[in-house]
Amino acid sequence: MSRLSYVVRRMLLAMFVLFGVALITFTLTHAISANPVVAFLGKAASIHPEIAQAYIERFHLNEPLYIQFWYYIVGVLRGDLGYSWTRGAYVSNVIAQTLPNTLQIVFFALLMTLALGIPLGILSCRYYNRSPDHGIRAFYLAGICSPAFFVALVLLLLFSYFLRVLPTGGIISVEVARPQRVTGFIILDSLLEGNWAALVDTVKHVLMPSMALALGNFGYLVRLLRSSLLEVMQTNYVRTARAKGLSERTVFLKHALRNALVPVVTLAALMTMWLVGSAIFVENIFAYPGVGHYLAQALGNLDYAAILGITLVFTTMIVLVNLVADILYTVLNPAIEL
Amino acid sequence: MIRMRRTKISRFLKLYTSNVSACVGFSIAAGFVILALVVALGGYWVLPYNPLKQNVGPAFSPPSWEHPFGTDQVGRDLFSRVLYATPNALFVSAVIIGWAMIIGMLLGSFSAYHGGRVDEILMRVTDLFLALPGLILAIAISVALGPGLNNMMYALMVGWWPAYARMARGEALRISRYDFIEAARAAGLGSGKIVLNHVIPNLVTTIMIYATVDFGQVIMVYAGLSYLGLSVQPPMPDWGAMVNYYQGYVVSAPWLPLFPGLVIAIVVVGFGLLGDGIRDAIESQT
Repeated sequence: MSRLSYVVRRMLLAMFVLFGVALITFTLTHAISANPVVAFLGKAASIHPEIAQAYIERFHLNEPLYIQFWYYIVGVLRGDLGYSWTRGAYVSNVIAQTLPNTLQIVFFALLMTLALGIPLGILSCRYYNRSPDHGIRAFYLAGICSPAFFVALVLLLLFSYFLRVLPTGGIISVEVARPQRVTGFIILDSLLEGNWAALVDTVKHVLMPSMALALGNFGYLVRLLRSSLLEVMQTNYVRTARAKGLSERTVFLKHALRNALVPVVTLAALMTMWLVGSAIFVENIFAYPGVGHYLAQALGNLDYAAILGITLVFTTMIVLVNLVADILYTVLNPAIEL
Repeated sequence: MIRMRRTKISRFLKLYTSNVSACVGFSIAAGFVILALVVALGGYWVLPYNPLKQNVGPAFSPPSWEHPFGTDQVGRDLFSRVLYATPNALFVSAVIIGWAMIIGMLLGSFSAYHGGRVDEILMRVTDLFLALPGLILAIAISVALGPGLNNMMYALMVGWWPAYARMARGEALRISRYDFIEAARAAGLGSGKIVLNHVIPNLVTTIMIYATVDFGQVIMVYAGLSYLGLSVQPPMPDWGAMVNYYQGYVVSAPWLPLFPGLVIAIVVVGFGLLGDGIRDAIESQT
């Protein structure tokens, strides 16, 4: 199979998955709740009957389910995810405001994961089955196996109450002037504006949530890199490189590590799924105004429009990363059978 | 044949027990299962205090001999509350894993045995489900169904079987090539009988090993959903829900959110070590 047809097939599957998620969540919320107006508007339906009436007309709630679904999908394609009564705003607007914040911690978490995972993976391979390897294993197992909310609480106690070096929550202190909204990413915006006070303050707020995510994540990287390095070190080309008289350093960095990093790309999908999922808990503990925090709030208030919208946005993110990782993998490793 | 099996098992046990972390994992997992069964059967009687009763001790008393995990803001014993929630965790993981194993093995082995178009269609459907983001979808479904332990389990069931189906299919493909399958077919057995009586019994072990490692994962995801308030409702205690409920006291009474969280982590580590130990012992045996 050529690469093009592989890419097309993967994209079709991705579209199917998105459609499937939309269908499942939509059908469940509509088929199970007795009154879809209540499902969409929650308590607001009884408080404001005129909004309920407007909703019935706008979402064609007096029509059969498949027609409603058609209208919902058309709305989604236009970027209309419905009205979120917990925030008193359109779901798409709230997501547009909160998603950059979440991406900010996910980005820093990925950086920390790489910064922790790659050196520790190399160390575990170097000291295979000796005490550093066992120590690293214990460390990452503790990270992988602890629920994200537990790690977040421990960090909170450690850095905010015992060491008193990091703020307990939020994204920027009240007394610091926010930068003008350009990209939506506060760190980027304050960089663009040259607002150093806001930059430092935001980085301080972002540090702990990102750390909580990275601690639960880096173990997968260490484990994969370790086994992949161990495998690569046994291959003939590494033996050839050694036989050529190259230094052990060159053999390791140029021949072994580079090839061992290829399977790590496949981990990107798993990691995104994990990071996005854990962000819900971590943001909730640090009162960090991201999509996860919004989702937790929507769950508590049964704000269905928001829950459906966030589910779709998260799924899209995961599916996209999956797609890119799969395609990248075929580029990095031409030997793979498509 | 029987003797060969016995030596194989004793060699496996020898390899397994020589691995310290595997033994730790086994003790944790066994302790958890036994505790959960005892609490499930005994109810309030086996617990030091009634987990729902207020003022069994002074409010906010830190961990002590009387209250190993301390007490909460209305004087309930946290240790009893954590213990009382163990059957939930065992029940949810056993149901989810059991369901995933049954569906996965049936689907995977029928798919592999039939081959052709049936296989193609079933595996595409499996791929589709495998690509769904598990936790997010589980959250959305359990919200739609309404919070509660049973609804949360239905939500988890949707996304948990595809990995098992994939694995069972791989194993079944290998098994279908053996002569005894050919012999069964020659003896005139129908495909249903062959799959149930000859294919599935031969892939159960592989699936069981995967399931042991997976057990901890179910507990972890379940704790997450419970944290979000989608599992049993208060005042009934639940591990994840307790962390959420008590997280406001993290500074004034850190034991309240930390102990339930720590218990989840220990149980998940236990199952992880158990599964790794079994896999290592089997791998070094062959």
